[in-house]
Amino acid sequence: MTTYFLNILEGLLVTVGVALGALVVSTALGLAGAAAKLSPYKALNWIGDIYSTVIRGVPDLVWLLLLYFGGQILVNDIAEALGYRRGPQINPFIAGVLTIGFVYGAYMTETFRGAIMSVPKGQSEASWAFGMGRFYTFRRVVFPQMVRFALPSFTNNWLVLLKSTALVSVIGLADITNLAKQAGAAARGDIPGAAIIFMAFAGFLYLLISSLSLLLLRQAEKHYSAGVKRGDF
Amino acid sequence: MKTLYFSLTLLAAAALTACGKTEAPVAAPAPAATPAAAEPVSQWPELRVAVDATYKPFTYKTESGDLTGFDVDIAKALCDELKSKCVFVEQAWDGMIPGLQAKKYDVIISSMSITEERKQVVDFTGKYYNTPSCVVVKSALNLGAEAANFKDKKMGVLKASTQEKYAMGELKAAGATIVPYDAQDQVYLDINSGRLDGTVADVVEVNGGFLSTPDGKDYACAGGRIPVEFDAKYFGGGAGVALRKDDAALRDALDAAIKTIRDNGKWKELADKHVPGVDIWGS
Repeated sequence: MTTYFLNILEGLLVTVGVALGALVVSTALGLAGAAAKLSPYKALNWIGDIYSTVIRGVPDLVWLLLLYFGGQILVNDIAEALGYRRGPQINPFIAGVLTIGFVYGAYMTETFRGAIMSVPKGQSEASWAFGMGRFYTFRRVVFPQMVRFALPSFTNNWLVLLKSTALVSVIGLADITNLAKQAGAAARGDIPGAAIIFMAFAGFLYLLISSLSLLLLRQAEKHYSAGVKRGDF
Repeated sequence: MKTLYFSLTLLAAAALTACGKTEAPVAAPAPAATPAAAEPVSQWPELRVAVDATYKPFTYKTESGDLTGFDVDIAKALCDELKSKCVFVEQAWDGMIPGLQAKKYDVIISSMSITEERKQVVDFTGKYYNTPSCVVVKSALNLGAEAANFKDKKMGVLKASTQEKYAMGELKAAGATIVPYDAQDQVYLDINSGRLDGTVADVVEVNGGFLSTPDGKDYACAGGRIPVEFDAKYFGGGAGVALRKDDAALRDALDAAIKTIRDNGKWKELADKHVPGVDIWGS
């Protein structure tokens, strides 16, 4: 029985790996999407709008299956047209990271857009008046102030993203959920209530990761709120 | 703010490309150009086999995480006959056929029943086992196998299974409520919780997974099994190896291999090991 638990623990690495990878992708896409939506160029606004609308309107699972199976068929067709016997295989880990990153990038877009808009425009105008460049202004003036506004919604996105990594078990990745399912199936008949026990353990692991990350994010919130007074009116 | 937007977009693009690297394509001469004059050791040096390890005793994992079961051992025996190296690929049931078409693997050896509907998209070898299915309800009800007996009963079935087809086709018409599930285990959980009156499942699967456990002690297969006359319409001819339609040579080789292991006793040895006491070749 202990071995089953140890097996499920191994899935922790995959789950955390997919979640962190997707977080990096979604943060990058979220910043890019926010930039596009706030840009003075109509074409970029348009791209940003399409991205956040289309992605948020279609279920994660559908995107995952489209990319993993549909994408693979496309890759194979291209490879075969070029004379290869078989196309390069889309790695399920990368497919998971990219799909979940891509989907949550749309939510991050809205998070960052709102946060950037919450920083008074006078801040960046003052920096330009001092002769700072656009990127430098963003990095040194807008970004540090924006983080404070972005963090609550960012934290929320992260928690939802973490749990949606359970979807990767559909494409065969050995994450917590998949291993718990398999352990439940293998031990049934031998251990009464095996399926429930192992699923509950999986749930406990997700809770553990989310609690730990909440602690870290709370520290970050403190750091980025330095100089801001909390109080009542 | 042109520079800012440009830098951010570039950053995002770089992050994506860094993650997007996949294994390089294996260059190989175009197939069907010329049949090789000198036959290589095996036409299939490697056979990628898809399994869904949640179907005890046919495909599951041991406590240490190794794949095992009747399907897995049959796959290994068939690979030996073909002088191929078996590479197992784990795949959830929902994506089995899409994955085959996307060439994620070459064959499915995971208790997939041969049905007319599936035959429209994939090819099958002959059966390598055939077990009947049955309708499971409380044994105290003392019901026979006829569909009309299950009027007003709520039955759970595995999504996309042959049992679901039967339940939808016959039991629902007779007035039963059919609820599809993602995994057979979830059906058993809901029978325990009282949400379901029973299930339609493979006899071997339901014996090992439910009837022989403490939870299933009050339940039994109504009338032993679903009447034989429904076999052709819903259940097809047992479980076969599924493969892509353009792989006729591989199909023929696998059919020959199944015959060989049937004849030389290897099949019986594996059947006795995993499903003792039951005839799983069927009629």
